[in-house]
Amino acid sequence: MADVINPGTGATPKQSFASSIKGIWCPGCGDWSVQAALTKALQGIGIERERIVIVSGIGCSSAMPHPFSTYGIHSLHGRLIPVATGVKLANDDLTVIGTGGDGDGYGIGVGHLIHAARRNINITYIVMDNEIYGLTTGQASPTSLLGAKTKSTPFGSIENPENPVGIAIAAGATYVARAFSGDPVHMAELIKNGILHKGFSIIDVFSPCVTFNNLNTYDWFRQRVYKLEQAGHDPSSMQKALERSLEAEQTGWSKIPIGLFYKTEKPAYSALDMTLQKGPLVNQPMPTKQQVMDILEEYK
Amino acid sequence: MASVSIRICGANGDGVESSGALVIKVAAKNGLHVFGYRGYQSIIRGGHVWYQIRIGDSELRSHGEGIDILIALNQDSINYQKSHLNQNAIVIYDPSKVKVDSLDSSRFVFVPIPLLDIAIAASGDPIMRNVVAIGAALKFVGIDIDAFNEVIRGMFGRKGEAVVNNNIKAAAEGYNYNGVKTAYNIKGDGKQRYALDGNTALSIGAYAAGCKFYAAYPMTPASTILQWFASHENKGVMPKQTEDEIAAINMTIGAASAGARAMCGTSGGGFSLMVEGLGLAGMLETPIVVVNSQRTGPSTGLPTKTEQADLLFVMHASQGEFPRIVVAPRSVADSFKVTAEAFNLADRYQCPVIILMDLYMSEHIESVERLDVDEVVIDRGKVVTENTGGGRFKRYLITDDGISQRAYPGSAGLEYVAGSDEHDEFGDLISDAFAGTDESIEVRKKMNAKRMRKMDTMLKNEKVFVPHVDADGGFYIVTWGSTTSPALEALEILKSKGQSVGLISFDYILPMDSRKTSDMLKGKKLIDVELNGTGQLAKVIRMNTGIGIEKSILKSDGEAFTGEEIANGIAEIIKSW
Ligand SMILES: Cc1ncc(C[n+]2csc(CCOP(=O)(O)OP(=O)(O)O)c2C)c(N)n1
Ligand code: SF4
Ligand SMILES: [Mg+2]
Repeated sequence: MADVINPGTGATPKQSFASSIKGIWCPGCGDWSVQAALTKALQGIGIERERIVIVSGIGCSSAMPHPFSTYGIHSLHGRLIPVATGVKLANDDLTVIGTGGDGDGYGIGVGHLIHAARRNINITYIVMDNEIYGLTTGQASPTSLLGAKTKSTPFGSIENPENPVGIAIAAGATYVARAFSGDPVHMAELIKNGILHKGFSIIDVFSPCVTFNNLNTYDWFRQRVYKLEQAGHDPSSMQKALERSLEAEQTGWSKIPIGLFYKTEKPAYSALDMTLQKGPLVNQPMPTKQQVMDILEEYK
Repeated sequence: MASVSIRICGANGDGVESSGALVIKVAAKNGLHVFGYRGYQSIIRGGHVWYQIRIGDSELRSHGEGIDILIALNQDSINYQKSHLNQNAIVIYDPSKVKVDSLDSSRFVFVPIPLLDIAIAASGDPIMRNVVAIGAALKFVGIDIDAFNEVIRGMFGRKGEAVVNNNIKAAAEGYNYNGVKTAYNIKGDGKQRYALDGNTALSIGAYAAGCKFYAAYPMTPASTILQWFASHENKGVMPKQTEDEIAAINMTIGAASAGARAMCGTSGGGFSLMVEGLGLAGMLETPIVVVNSQRTGPSTGLPTKTEQADLLFVMHASQGEFPRIVVAPRSVADSFKVTAEAFNLADRYQCPVIILMDLYMSEHIESVERLDVDEVVIDRGKVVTENTGGGRFKRYLITDDGISQRAYPGSAGLEYVAGSDEHDEFGDLISDAFAGTDESIEVRKKMNAKRMRKMDTMLKNEKVFVPHVDADGGFYIVTWGSTTSPALEALEILKSKGQSVGLISFDYILPMDSRKTSDMLKGKKLIDVELNGTGQLAKVIRMNTGIGIEKSILKSDGEAFTGEEIANGIAEIIKSW
């Protein structure tokens, strides 16, 4: 790509953010839309690509960093949040974006989600929620619906699906949204605002797996989703946001809200961390011999 | 060498720990050598706790065999410690609280002092009874009371004149109590020393090396490292208590990837949770330092007791093959030194470095004259900040030494994606679409070999991967890490009995230089001494050199070795050799 990048002065808005690697997803996979929407969101913000780190876990969706020309870490299944948190804590100047799947973030890694939310760490977390384990070829996920027939639940799932939006709100996330791969423009806007938001932002994306999930298809979602922005929802109310997060299940999955559920302003983690008041950790000087000797004096 | 061991005993909540710390400070400040170790249990109130402080006129290697002066704060102290009392031991106790009829009066010196009454009369505070007893103990040892007073002024000066005076008054009462007289008279050399435990020395070593980030989930005996970082947060370090050990190691990897020197720490149970992350650091070639302070296993085991039984575990933890370094410091001062160096090794070889502490090393206190602060150098290894070559940056460039250039996010023109899947020189995955093609098979072969080549490079470039010959003799003790100190003490004991025994001790255990180690051990009469039940170091030695060590002294009862215990065992083995 022949982008012109002037470090420190902001990227050109036309920066493509595309690397030489193509996405590995099946044709029609919802994750292609997420790549497009994230690209558009980054273009809309205009951060230099070297200051962006995309951190993923393991899963089809976690292949997201590769087609981007930014920095990236493709980490372990379920561990993208702690890795991303570490990156952000070490260098607060970076824009850190997490990308992963529903198994990754709501199954094996769900503990980290709650803690990232309550810390209000300033990262943006995009979960490609296809209600299935794609990469492992189609087992049930924590968001698979009751009764869903998958390779691991051939007689239908007997477990209730998780409510990630509600969990994120209750855990203290300060920006909680839901998007749909069938509407990448809407998604790009939600992602962009999530990145601009100072604090923990999560965007749960209905991103259909066209290969292993023949229940939650594009059409299935299209028939059911509606936009909160058009429904007069007040995203500043935690109460209302929690109510909306319950709507899908309460309506027997006939009405599923997408859009911005909740947004509030709270000090981001870095604003409260003592050490970060002196700037990004990586820019802080190494200790002098004298400083080490001074500390040793405590033990005399 | 002259030394005396004081043991303060009571229940949790009796102030045993702070009393022990106070005696250690007084001795270290007065040119004496000190070695302190605490016995406690995993409960917060009650139970039976003790603090043993050994004071000597030259360097000490253990907290000593038996008790010379017992401060018994409750009846349990007599009941449980009876068997540890040395001949002629001095027993300080309050006759209104503690009965000593179960002890043979011809073997011990009883010093009944109404500690509680004196404490209340002197200060109105019953907890001062410990200070009265400490005053008496100091007199028996022959430490000047002024030395105590000076430490008290330093410690409590901020709390006001009254607190200082109460302490000084209470100690003087014990010091001058009728019948209390100097029995040891151990003389210091006037040099002020630091009193440090292993975890503190390790933490200061990390600080000196520029470690900025420490992540941990509390677990004995590693928690004090987290607490050290937390209490020094205002000195430019970032401590993070995470939701679990999985988060701890993965955050550490994130922070290290972004360019901060980063460490995490735990005990065996937490290390078990970190195992997948360890492999991630190996695959991403991220420099991290991981501390495992071992306690008695398996499982929850004995959380407040020690062992050296995680060696084989940490050497082999996580799937696949990747380079790593394992080092076990041999003393408190060493804990500082190897930790400071661990960060250089991690950065130079872009791999995880595991520091194997154990409860005994983490928690025992030594008086230390100096730490090698001047010798600390900071070497970040092959780091680039600019793309000088043009073209796409090859983060995982295949090189002769196995080490590739590393870039931190924020550097323009060096963007790359680090992947836990197998990847090529750019970091592009070969796992998904192309696995199994001829080209991918070739890449896989080369990348795996490149990473493992770093182990050879370490052995070639670093001097540390050979054991220490601490002493020569007709027989040789072989040991590692924290058992080195009591082994050294055993040599002295054996020497005093006319037995010349040598010592070969390991700190850097992985990678092991097979040839050099083999040359060092070959043809010697070796006795393996380890604080585990299966002789794990001996297994590693056999694996690397083919040399089998037939004789061993092993134990896994939760307590550290004493010099005497090892000396007796060695004498026994030599007799029947
Ligand atoms: C510790 C661990 N357990 C299991 C796996 C196998 N695994 C890889 S991806 C995956 C689930 C993927 O589902 P999801 O996170 O929803 O991503 P998707 O492929 O659907 O995008 C599993 C179980 C693994 N890589 N690591
Ligand atoms: S298997 Fe499903 S989730 Fe994975 S790439 Fe194909 S469509 Fe997407
Ligand atoms: Mg999925």
